[in-house]
Amino acid sequence: MRRTSFLLAVISSALFLATAGAATRPRYGGILRIAVRAAPMSLDPASPEQVDWVGFSNISRLIFDTLVTVDDIGKPQPALAVSWNPEPGDQRWQLNLRSGVTFQDGSPLTCSIAAASLRAANPNWKVFCAGEALTIERDSPAPTLPAELALSRNGIAKRNGAQLDGTGPFAVAQWNPGKKLVLAAREDNWAGRAFVDSVEIEMGKSFRDQAISFDLGKTDVIEVAPEEVHRAAAEGRQMQTSAPLELMALVFARDRQSAEEAHLRQALSLSIDRALLNNVVLQGAGEPTSSLLPNWMTGYAFLFPATSNMTAAQEERAQVAQAGVWTLSFDTNDPVERVIAERILLNASEAGLRLQITAGNAADIRLARIPMVSPDPRTTLAELAAALGLAPPRAGDSIDSLYAAESALLQSGRIIPLLYLRSAYATRDTVMNAKGDRSGSWELQNVWLAEKPVPRRQLMQASQEP
Amino acid sequence: MKGNPCAAVYNARIACMCIFLSRILRAIFFPLIVCGLLVLLCTPQTWAGDWQQPEKQLAARIAAVTGPGAVALDLVNRSSLSPADVEHIRRGIVTELQASGVNCVKAEQATATVTIYLSENLQSYVWASEIHQGTNERSVVMISVPRPATMEDGREQFPLTIHKTLLWSQENRILDVTLLSGNPQRMLVLDPDQVTLYKLQASRWQPEQSFAITHAKPWPRDLRGRLVPRKDKNHLFDAFLPGVVCHAATNPLLTMNCVASDDPWPLGTDQINLSAFFTPARNFFTGVLSPGIAKQTAAPPFYSAATLPREKYTLWMFSAVDGRIHLLDGITDQVTASPKWGSDIASVHSACGSGWQVLATEAGEGASDVVRAFEIPDREPVPASQPLEFPGTITAFWTAWDNGSGFVIAAAHNSQTRRYEAYQLSLSCNQ
Repeated sequence: MRRTSFLLAVISSALFLATAGAATRPRYGGILRIAVRAAPMSLDPASPEQVDWVGFSNISRLIFDTLVTVDDIGKPQPALAVSWNPEPGDQRWQLNLRSGVTFQDGSPLTCSIAAASLRAANPNWKVFCAGEALTIERDSPAPTLPAELALSRNGIAKRNGAQLDGTGPFAVAQWNPGKKLVLAAREDNWAGRAFVDSVEIEMGKSFRDQAISFDLGKTDVIEVAPEEVHRAAAEGRQMQTSAPLELMALVFARDRQSAEEAHLRQALSLSIDRALLNNVVLQGAGEPTSSLLPNWMTGYAFLFPATSNMTAAQEERAQVAQAGVWTLSFDTNDPVERVIAERILLNASEAGLRLQITAGNAADIRLARIPMVSPDPRTTLAELAAALGLAPPRAGDSIDSLYAAESALLQSGRIIPLLYLRSAYATRDTVMNAKGDRSGSWELQNVWLAEKPVPRRQLMQASQEP
Repeated sequence: MKGNPCAAVYNARIACMCIFLSRILRAIFFPLIVCGLLVLLCTPQTWAGDWQQPEKQLAARIAAVTGPGAVALDLVNRSSLSPADVEHIRRGIVTELQASGVNCVKAEQATATVTIYLSENLQSYVWASEIHQGTNERSVVMISVPRPATMEDGREQFPLTIHKTLLWSQENRILDVTLLSGNPQRMLVLDPDQVTLYKLQASRWQPEQSFAITHAKPWPRDLRGRLVPRKDKNHLFDAFLPGVVCHAATNPLLTMNCVASDDPWPLGTDQINLSAFFTPARNFFTGVLSPGIAKQTAAPPFYSAATLPREKYTLWMFSAVDGRIHLLDGITDQVTASPKWGSDIASVHSACGSGWQVLATEAGEGASDVVRAFEIPDREPVPASQPLEFPGTITAFWTAWDNGSGFVIAAAHNSQTRRYEAYQLSLSCNQ
C-alpha cells in the first residue's frame, strides 16, 4: 500500500512536471480585474474623443479586431484581412477578408460592414467592396496603409444606432461609460476563446487609487506612474514595462512667426536639462530625447543630441533684442508635469527667456504627452504630425527619407521633444503571460490566471519526495 | 585615437591596422602577415553578413558630401553586430572611400571629420554618418541594411554552437566542479558530503585529497552548492552550501574548515563582483544582493543569475522563483518573456556575437533537459544556438568562476545510468 502511494505520488509529480514545468500550459477560467486611468465615455474605436491612446487602445482591442495587426518588429500581420495588395503607386489597396468571422451578436463579418466601419473612422478615405474584397483608395500614395489599418481607431465595428458590436475576443457584458466595463470571453471568437472567463475594468482611477485597490487585493493589473516604477518594484510588485512609447514634449500652439522666434525656440530647446528631468523628476524611468521617434523604432535617434547647452542657448537668445513672455500649460492634475514645467521655467530663465505657467487652454506652449501609436515609424510620424496640425510628412521607403521627414518636422519649431516614457503595469503573481508587446498592448486574450504560481524547482523537489 | 589615420571604433574597439613596424619587425613578420592575409582572402565567406553592397553605398553617400580629399574617420558600433563584423565593415568602408578618392588621415590633416554609426531598428541595421566640414553645419547620410537571412530566420541556422565536455561522473550528486590552472592541472568536485581534489595524471583524473563537509542542520532537498577557487597562495578555495561556508587553506597542510554561515554566495566571476544571500533551508537565493548592482540591492527571489557586461554597465538576468526572468541594470528591473526557460541560467563569454551570451536550461523530451544559448540584444532573449541535449535533468548550472568566464559548468542526473555527470560547456561561432 505504501509503495502504491509512493508510485502514485511519483506519477502525479511527473505529470505536473510535464505540464507545469518550463512550458506550463495555460489554465482557463477566472476573472481578471484591471484598473486604468482612462475614462472613455464611448467604446467606439472611431470616436475622435479618445485622448489616452494607449489606455483606450488596450480596451478597444479587446472588443474590436482590426483588419491587420503589427507584430513585435513592426511588420503587418493578417487579422480580419488575410491578404492585401497595393496597386502600382500604393494609392489603391485591395484586401481579402477572413471568412467565418462573426460579431458579438452572431452575425457574420461582411465586406460592407468593414467598409462602413473604416469610412466612419476615416472620412477622407474611399472604401468600397468588389465582391467580398475590400478596396481602399487614398488621395495620395499610402505605402504604410497596412500599418495604419492596425491602429485601434480602425477597429472594425458594426454600428446599429447606439449599439456597437465587434469581432474581438471579448463581448461587452456591462458598460457604465467612464466608470466600469465588464467583458465576457467569446466562445466563438475566430482566434479561439480567451483563457479568462471575463475581464472587469475599473476606469478613471488615479495611480494612487489603483495602488490602493491592488494592495487590498481588489485588482490584478494596475498602471504604475513612470516615476513610481522603482518604488513599486522595491515593494515587491511584479512589473511589466513597455518600450518607450510616449513622448513628453513642449508643443507650441502656432507656427513660428519670424526668424527671431526661431532663435528663441532654439534657445529654449538648448536650455532644457533633460537628463536632470529624467534622473530627478522621473527617477530615471524615462529617456531624455531630442528626437520624435525612439531609437528602437528608427535606429538613428542618437543623431539628435539631447544634452543641454546653456552657452549655446544664451547665444541663440542673444540673437534677439526683445523677447516677450511665453505662457506654458500642463495637466494640472499631474504633479509630475507640474515639477517638469517648473524645472523648464528655471532652465529658460537661465537662458534669458521668460516663461509663465498658466492654467488656461490658450497657452503659447503646452506640455504634452504624445503616444507612439504604431511600431511602424512612418505611421507614427504621420499621426504625430496630424496631432500637431501639421502637413503629413513625406517619408519615403528609405531610412534617410524618414530621417529627413523627422528632421523637417522638428525644424518646424512646433515641438521640442523632452523625454520618452514607458508604460508600466503591476500584475499580481497569479496573472500569467501578461507580457505586453513592444507597443504596450495587453493581449489579455492570451493572459491566464494561475491559482498559485508553481516554480519548477519546487516541482522537481516534490518529485523526489517518497 | 586622436590623430590616428585609421577609423576609431567605439563600443567594439578594434586595433588599428595601420601599424608602423620597424624594419626588423617588418622583415620578420611581413611574410607571416602576407600568408595570413592570403589565407583570409582565400577563405570562403567567413562573416555573418555580406556587407560589400552597403559598404559601397554608404561610402558613395559620404564621398558625395565630402568630395575627394582627406577625412578623419571614426566608427561607433551601437548595434548587435559582432566585433568581427564591425571590423570587417570598417575595413570595407575605408576601402570604398579610398576608391572614391576619400582618404583617411590624421585629424589634424583632415578637411572633414566623418563619424559612422552602426545602429539598428526593429527590422534592419541603420548605418548613419555624421560629416563635419570646416565651419559648415553637419551633414547626415544614412542607409538601412537588411539583416542577414541567417539572423532573421533563427529557427534554421544559429550563429553559435554549444560544446559539451564531460569532466567527471560519480554516483553522488554533483553540486559544482571547478578546474584549477597549474601543472599538473587539478579539479575540485563538490558533492553533499565532501570536496574532492583530483590531479590530472596520464590523461586521467586521480583523487588527491578529500575534505569532509560538516554541517549541523540537515541539508534541504534539491541541495545546491558552489565552489569558488581563490588566488591567494594559502587560500585554495571556498565552498558555499545552504547555511554553510567551507574555507580550504594551506596551514601548512591543506585543510578545509566548514562553519555555519549565511555569507552571500558569489554570483559573478573573479572579475565581476556580485554576491547574493541564499535561503538556508531552501533551494533559492533570497534576492538580497551584495554589494548590489549600482543602486539596486535586491532582486526578486531567484534560482540563478547570469551577467552580461555592457559598455557602460553590467546587465544581470535573474531566473526568479516566480518563473520569470528579471533584468536589472542598476536602475530598472524589467521582466522579459522567457516562456520556455527553466530555472537555471548562466552566462558565458565567447568570441562570437555580442561577446557575452546566456545559456538557459529548458525542458526537453521526456525527463531530459536541454541547454540553449541566447543573445540579449535588446533585453529580449534571441535564440543563438540549437538546443543541446543532456542525458537527464540538470541539477547544477554555474558560470565558471575564472578563465574569463568562457565556460559554464553543468551537472546532470543521467536517467539511464543513474549517475551524476559534470560537463564543461563552451561556445563556438558558426561560420
